[in-house]
This record gives sequence, C-alpha cells and structure tokens, in this order.
Amino acid sequence: MSRKPSSGLPAISSEDMCPVCKTIRYLNKDMEFLINPECYHSMCSNCVNRLFNDGPNQCPYAGCHRTLRRKGFRSAFFGDLSVEREVDIRRRVAAVFNQAEDDFETLRDYNNYLQMVEDLTFDLVSGSDAARRAAEATLQQWEAEHRADIERNRKAGREADEQSRRRLAAEREAARQRRVEALREAEEEKRERARSREAELDSLAKGEVVSAGGPAGGAQQRVQLKRRGQAAVNAAAASAAGTGAAAAAADVGRLSIRGLKEKKAPAPEGPYDPFGGMDFVPSRYKLHDGLSHPAIDKYKADPGHITGGYNFDDYTARALYEAFAGLAVFVEDEKEVGIGLSAGEVATISAGMIAVGDKMELD
Amino acid sequence: MATEDARYRQTSQYELWSFSPTQLADMREKTNAAARARIAERLSSLPALSNNTSTPASSVNTPDPDGASAPALPEFLTAAEEAQLVTFFTSELLRAGDHAEMTDEIKATAAAFFRRFYVTNSIMTYPPQEMLIVALFFGCKAEGSFVSISDFVKTFGKDNPEEVLAGEFLLCQGLRFAIDVKHPFRALRGALMELAALPDVDRARLGAAETRAREILRFSPLITDAYFHYTPSQIMLAALSLADRGLAERLITETFHHVTPPPDSGADTPSASGTDAPSSKKPTARSGEDKAQIIGCHLRDKVLGTIEACRDMLAKELPERREHWTNKAVIKAQITPLRKKLNKCRDPERWNLVELQRARRQQAAKKADSEDGDPDDRGEAGNSLQSDAAVFGDPLTASARDTKRRKVLSNGKGLDDPFGGPL
Repeated sequence: MSRKPSSGLPAISSEDMCPVCKTIRYLNKDMEFLINPECYHSMCSNCVNRLFNDGPNQCPYAGCHRTLRRKGFRSAFFGDLSVEREVDIRRRVAAVFNQAEDDFETLRDYNNYLQMVEDLTFDLVSGSDAARRAAEATLQQWEAEHRADIERNRKAGREADEQSRRRLAAEREAARQRRVEALREAEEEKRERARSREAELDSLAKGEVVSAGGPAGGAQQRVQLKRRGQAAVNAAAASAAGTGAAAAAADVGRLSIRGLKEKKAPAPEGPYDPFGGMDFVPSRYKLHDGLSHPAIDKYKADPGHITGGYNFDDYTARALYEAFAGLAVFVEDEKEVGIGLSAGEVATISAGMIAVGDKMELD
Repeated sequence: MATEDARYRQTSQYELWSFSPTQLADMREKTNAAARARIAERLSSLPALSNNTSTPASSVNTPDPDGASAPALPEFLTAAEEAQLVTFFTSELLRAGDHAEMTDEIKATAAAFFRRFYVTNSIMTYPPQEMLIVALFFGCKAEGSFVSISDFVKTFGKDNPEEVLAGEFLLCQGLRFAIDVKHPFRALRGALMELAALPDVDRARLGAAETRAREILRFSPLITDAYFHYTPSQIMLAALSLADRGLAERLITETFHHVTPPPDSGADTPSASGTDAPSSKKPTARSGEDKAQIIGCHLRDKVLGTIEACRDMLAKELPERREHWTNKAVIKAQITPLRKKLNKCRDPERWNLVELQRARRQQAAKKADSEDGDPDDRGEAGNSLQSDAAVFGDPLTASARDTKRRKVLSNGKGLDDPFGGPL
C-alpha cells in the first residue's frame, strides 16, 4: 500500500508526446493521458490498453518497478501531477481522520487534532522517506484500530470512502469463509468419528482380541483428540499472531488523540408518556368502596345506564377529584408572586415593599 | 405538591383566567381607560352625528380639551360602574337561562364567559344585552348541548340568527379561546360522597346542606368574581360552609389530618397520624415533611382562611338577592341611570355587532382579493376603505390602517402570548 512516488514527476505540459510510445498528438488527435495513483506516471490510453489489457504489468517507466493494473488508471484532474497526488493523499487522510468538531471536548483539542493531521499529511506528501513511512504506518494503524469510529463518522455525513467499504466487504467474506470452514470441519469430524466407530465394530465382528481392540480404539481416540486439539492450537496461534501483529504495529507508533469525547450511547428512552409525567394518584383522598350519592344511586339499577357499560366508579372518581382539585391553590398569592409580572403587579409589589420598609423604619 | 393541585394548575381556568383582586381591578381600570380613549377619538371624529347625539347636558363634567369647535364628549362610565352593570347583566343572563330552561352547567358557563369577556372588553364597546345571548348560545355549545340556532333565537323572541352568530367569534376572541370552565357542581357531589362515607353524619342533614349549597352555587359565585379568585373546590366548600358550616369544616379537618410527629419520636413511628390505612404504604414511605406539605395543619389553616374569604364574597350575593336584581325600585334607582349614561357613551363603531361583522368580512375579502393581486385592484381596495368609512363613520385611511397593523405586530406581548394580547 505504501506509495513511493518517484521524485521527478513529469509535468503533463510536455503533453503532446506520450513518454512511453512517443506518439505525438499530431498523429492521434484523441490522445488522452492516463495516470495510475500507484506511481503517477502518465502515459497515453493506447499504451495503457496495450500494456495492461492482459493483466497486471510493470510500469513501463525506466526505474519504476511498480506493478500496475489497468483498473487503477484514470485521467488526471489537475495538470500538475504533484497536485493530483497531494489531493489524493489528502482525500485518503481525510477519510481516515474524519472527526468533527463536535467529537472534541474543547476547541483547543480540536485544533491540536487538526494540527496533528496536517503534520501527518505533510509528512506523507513531502516528507523525507523515513518520515513518510512512519506517517504511513500511523495512518494505517489508526485506520485499523478505529475502523468503527471512522465508519460512524463517515456515515454521519462524510463522503463515501470506497476503499474501506471494500475492505469491510472482504472481511465479511473472510468471516463467511471461516464459518463455512468451521462447518466443514465439524462435518469432517463427525464423519471421522462414524468411520472409526465402524472400524471398531468391524474389528469386534472379526473377533479380534478384545485386548488388542482396546488399545487400537484408544489410539484412534487419541488421534482424533489430537486432531481436534491441533485445530484449537492452530486457532489460538492464529489469534495470537493476529494480536501479536497488532501489538507490534502498536509499538511502531502508538497514536492517541487527546480530548476526544467519550462515545456514550444515548440513554434508552422509556415508554412515551402522553401526560408529561403528571401523577394521577390522588394525594388528599382515597377512592374507596361505598362512595355513593342519592342522585346517582337511582341510575345504578337503570338498564339504560348499565347496558351501555356506564361505569359509576368513573363518575365518583371524577366527582372526588373535582372536590379536592385545587384546594390548596391560592390564586391570589400565586398570581401575585408568579413569573411574568406585569407593570401593575410590580407596582403593587413595590408599593408593598415600600410599606414594609416604612414599617421597618417605624420599628 | 399535591397531584390534584398540579392537575388543576394545568387548566386554562387557572392559567388564563385566575387573577388576584388587585390584578383584576387593574385590568378593569386599563380596559376602561382604553375604551374611553378610543371612544372619545371616534366620537370626536363623527362630524354629522355627534352634533345630534351628544347632548350638552351630559358633558358637563368632562372638560373639553379641543375647545368649542370640537363636539362635546359625553360622560363615560367608570370601571366601578362598568362592573356594576356587568353584574346586573349577569343576573339578566341567569334569568334568561332560566327562561330557556337550561341546565345549571350551561348557565354557569355562560355567566363565566360573559364576565370573562367584559374583563378585557369594556361594556361601552360591545353591547351587553346582545353579548349575554351570545354567551348563552356559546355556553350551550361549550357544555355539549347543541341547540339549533333558529330554535335558540326563537326562545328569546328574535328572528334573525345573524344577531347571535355575529358576536360568537368576538366572544371566543375575548375568552382567548379558553372555553372550558371548571364548575363546583360535581365537586359538591364528590364532597357529599366523602362526607356520607363518614360514620357519624346524618343523611338528612347532608341532603339539606346539599340543596342549599347547590342553590348558592347556582347564583352567588356566578354573579361575583369568585370564579376569578378561587378554585372550584374552594368555591364549593365556601358554599357548603354557608349552607352548613360544620360539614365544611369537618371535611377540611378530615382531609388535612396530618399531624407533624414530634421530632424525637418521628423517626421511630413514621405514621404517627394513625389514620393512615395500610394501603397507603407508599405515601408513608415519603418523608413526613412532604406529607405535611400536602395534608398538614399549616395548610389546613391557610385553606380555611381562603374559604372564609370566599365565603364572605359569596355571602354578599346570596340567592335571596335574585329579587334584588329584579326589583323595579332598585333598578330604577341604580341601574337605569347607568344605562342612560351607557347609551350616550357607547362606541359608535362597535355597538352594532351585525354591521361590525359584515364590515370585517368585507374587509377580509377585499384584502384577500387585493393580495391575490392584479394591480388594478387598487381602486377596489380604495373603495373598500371608503365603504368601511361609511360603516364605521370614521375616515380610515390606508396609512392609518397600516400603522395600526404595525402597532399590533410590534406589540411584543401579543406575539409572546399564545392566546394573544388583550383585545
């Protein structure tokens, strides 16, 4: 992956001649120059077709040993290829370091982060060889470690990053492969067990010495166990290698960004409360049986009321609620001292305060 | 905070239509002053009519600021006189409701509507006799009894439904579209159920108290400002206390029974009040302080005080005063002079609701037309202004209207308040 641009990028200004086949525009009016972001060497589309139609091939430039594919070729957007390259790098870095300002606790942290990203980009674009390699390693490591974050950030409004999507697909493919492999292994094992069992039965049927069969069966068992164990060991080794590689990569240049906000999952919302948290449990009275009123008693036997499903408890509940609702709401006090005082109220209050002041003076 | 109180605080009756006495008086003064200013302006801009109608005798008290050339202004009603007239017309409304055989709730709702409407509108601006019919009609609707307008109009010996319908939206605006009125009638039933559940209460005594209390509730709180100053349960208890003081106090003491436990034993016996049923385990788990705030003695005294104040207010207008408001001698002595005065100082533009409604509709239609937009509609708009002027007798100019609109827009309160500023 590491890109190693050749030092002297040819400018397309001398673009009337293909540097590979030396065709000049005079002979081919439709000549189009293509570049490959592997090495940014330009050549005409005819050359690309000729050289790379049959699969990957080496770059035809002298001294450039990169293997190019036809798929990677595209026409340059900028006339200056160094600009083209820088834009590509910046795009790639921006796809990886795509934190937004909201992700940071303070503006200062965000600015530090931007500074760090810019330093890294500069190293990649025009640093020395060592610096470039280090920056490349950092970038890859960060990308590997924070894939989920990057993915989320990208989803949160960033432009599509096709490369990581492809990688994700590959991973998924690998996972699928693994699953298939595991299934296949399980199947294999089952079949193996059946076969050994059959062999055992066969040996018994043949009337071989039981004492000889025992060790034979045991040996087979052991073989099987060994095989199974081997698989486990293999898996462990593989995972260890993976983590080891990760750890090794981590040692290369551990990158940590300071001031990133903790990613917190939003608290789970409870069920929707249409009453906005209002409490309907009465606090001054209790609804008990035996609440009745002569005016409604006569309806309790009336089919016209019962048949329709009229609930007399609802009526008593409502009547009791109304009897006690607002009992301790003192309109005069609450409206005078409430929020949003009008001029008149302020006047009366200040008058009251003056009166109080007078009284205090009198005291 | 008690849950019932929290629920009551959510109602529009509490949020929009509950005031302290000073606030209410203040609002009435403001309404009165605004109406005076507006009517004076309109009367003085009536060139032909004012010469005929404004009699010099009525304007003795008002100094004429414009000198002799301008027409003399009549004497305006004061806020207190307005309030007295509103009370009189409320009693008229209740009589009209009796005449139409409406239920207590409808009459009470209509009366509340009527009184609320005339808090932010002056009785000099809109005609009370028409508005009380409108309030009754709208009260029927608000209480879910939908009479046909033609039947309704016939009941009151009118033949043009337009007269009632014209004021309907106006009334709604004046109510700030808060059309749910909480009444104490069902609360009274609830209180009696609670009292009947007590072991040592005589049923006959309860029945008598209920009849009397209901009689009071039908009249006294409606004709006073009780609905503005007190909650339905307080009004109900005040009425009950007027009917049978012992019963009302019994109910309150039973409700606010919590006794603050002495500090040393409080920790050991959290349910020191002893009246807690085992079913109320959760409330006892709450701190005693919390409980004292809901049903404590301190609160009981305050509630008793409030109910006493409400009782005093209701006692001024006991049901026996119905005769007072229909007594011919009283009317002649107190009301007739006020009505004469009112006839002279009423708003010339707003007095006729039907005309007002029609003018407003026309104006709205014209405005929609001109906003739809051919440029040659300009002349039409001008015509509409002229016709407005013919209706209102007030030469409205386009610029005057614009300034008015701008004033409405720039009036910050009107924008902040979801129900709009006072009309």
